[in-house]
Amino acid sequence: MENLQSLLHGFTIAITVPHLTLMVVGVLLGILVGVLPGLGAPNGVSLLLPLTFGMQPVSAIILLSSMYWGALFGGSVTSILFNIPGEPSSVATTFDGYPMARDGRPTTALATAFGSAAFGALVGVILITFLASWVAQVALAFGPPEYFAVYFLAFASFIGMGGAAPIKTLVALAIGFAIAAIGIDTVSGSVRLTMGIDELVKGVSFVVAVMGLFGIGELLIAVEEEFHARAVSSRVDWKEVFRALGRLPHHGVALLRSAAIGCWMGITPGGPTAASFMSYGIAKRFSRNGSRFGTGEAEGIVAPETADHAAGTSALLPMLSLGIPGSATAAVMMGGLMIWGLNPGPMLFVDQKDFVWGLIASMYVGNIVAVVLVLLTVPVFAALMRIPFAVIAPLIVIICVVGAYSVSNSYLDIVLMLGFGVFGYLFKKLHYPLAPLVLAIVIGDKAEDAFRQAMLMSKGSLGIFFANRLVTTLVLAGIALLLLPLALQIVRLLRKTDEAAHEKVRII
Amino acid sequence: MISRRALEITAAALTGIFGVAVIVSSIDNGIGWSSAGVDAGTFPFLTGVIIVLGSLYNLGQGALGRGTLAIVRTAVTSSELRRLAGLFVPAAIFVAVIPLVGMYLASAGYVFAVLAFPRRQSVLRALVIAAATPLALYVVFERMFQVSLPHGALATAFGF
Repeated sequence: MENLQSLLHGFTIAITVPHLTLMVVGVLLGILVGVLPGLGAPNGVSLLLPLTFGMQPVSAIILLSSMYWGALFGGSVTSILFNIPGEPSSVATTFDGYPMARDGRPTTALATAFGSAAFGALVGVILITFLASWVAQVALAFGPPEYFAVYFLAFASFIGMGGAAPIKTLVALAIGFAIAAIGIDTVSGSVRLTMGIDELVKGVSFVVAVMGLFGIGELLIAVEEEFHARAVSSRVDWKEVFRALGRLPHHGVALLRSAAIGCWMGITPGGPTAASFMSYGIAKRFSRNGSRFGTGEAEGIVAPETADHAAGTSALLPMLSLGIPGSATAAVMMGGLMIWGLNPGPMLFVDQKDFVWGLIASMYVGNIVAVVLVLLTVPVFAALMRIPFAVIAPLIVIICVVGAYSVSNSYLDIVLMLGFGVFGYLFKKLHYPLAPLVLAIVIGDKAEDAFRQAMLMSKGSLGIFFANRLVTTLVLAGIALLLLPLALQIVRLLRKTDEAAHEKVRII
Repeated sequence: MISRRALEITAAALTGIFGVAVIVSSIDNGIGWSSAGVDAGTFPFLTGVIIVLGSLYNLGQGALGRGTLAIVRTAVTSSELRRLAGLFVPAAIFVAVIPLVGMYLASAGYVFAVLAFPRRQSVLRALVIAAATPLALYVVFERMFQVSLPHGALATAFGF
């Protein structure tokens, strides 16, 4: 077990007082950027980067990666408390996290989210420790057809799970694809769907759409219903935090399945966002409590959070071993690596053993530090729910406005965000599902690019999606997931049990 | 009061118009197969067609009063509408004045207006929150993360 020995050596590097201090600082800053919408891990990491130039590479990467962990945790906070996802990957957390918090259980929701996130991250790191070389090979096997197949799989696992009218779902999905296409087309370089507005060339950012659709839309629904958050007990209830953590093992199957989905999507470049959506969709389909998803089910928080963090962690592996950054944050960190005089890629594992294993060991320690710190902050965040709605409503509007602006310093984004808010309200009111719309905005153009590149490779033949074992398996799994609800419905019709039809399904 | 039917028709009309705009705009990009592979406009064109067809279906369902929500006749009552306007109108005014007076002044004014005028909070408390908001924004965004928020035409005129 050469890996294990190297890891132990890594721990001796990571567990020193200066490095632990760096982790605490990094995690706290990360939580801050994660909580503030519009700022994210990429912002935080790029701002800290100049500070690290004088540091040892190991110390520098520990600081930056700790910030990344903190931001991943912090992103879930606003999703759960205010229905405003700070990052694309925490959208799926809003589906059950927000109803649970609104129901007067913000502490439980936050603790469940952080606990399962920590589990996902841990599985991701273990995977990195033991399968580094194997994983690198898998990532290399991915070309455009495989990319498309992975996105297709994510869509397939998510479509048709809500209780919404099928045509409304279809319209919502298509609108999402169209919004994703706005701006410069990455394959041909031509400008699409700007409707004569030059500023739209940069495209419509996901953050802008989500803040309007979820944040402002939900706010409008809330005032209309004269909503008052159910009174949260005023004292800090530490027992509730531990009770929520203690209940996590009951969701063992969901935890393991979501971690597996997350790791798989992190290594294959599907990414954390696709992973969390897919994990939520699959959990809803296979869970005993599936019909109650969307009303504040703990499992509906466990599934996306675990997958998100498992994917976020394992996505760092391609960066280290292949020099392919899996996310914007990883790209900034890779820039850092080069500035510190290291070359990301296969040789890193040979030349810079101390650096690589110090980093991997710091992932274990850093995640533990992050989860402890973030659990300590739960009561603080839960207390936000006690602020009267009349005060919190304008503050949420301001946060959404500032968040939309800071994405690309554009006033147009603020106006668009407000427009999305009206649409979000209208859609929610009329039971158009928002989840497929958002999923299409986030990964729609990537899926399209992958499809078109695959078509270029095969000169227009769809056969390329069945050209090798990997892509065929992915495509078939996707088709199976698409057809599954249909098949189940036929079975149900044959059995003539109409109970299901009377169940109240929340549309997400 | 707004009836469910009117709201369904409005939504379907809006999505339909968006679909038509997508179709028209994507035909300019070219659709189909060319030497450079699948043309840039092809996918948006297809999504546009789906949006238009789906919207027509939803429009029909809405106008005939059919569909999943057919039992609900009223979508928004007049008191609900008043509450909605109470949130949205100030928010829209806030967004509209940002280019003029900048984010800081606009947010302070917005918070003060929605807190003090409906008499939900005492004037003093509203003042404190109104002053704290831009200050917090300034410290976190402008200072800590060096994200410049819009200062507005007014600030430019005064030479900031």
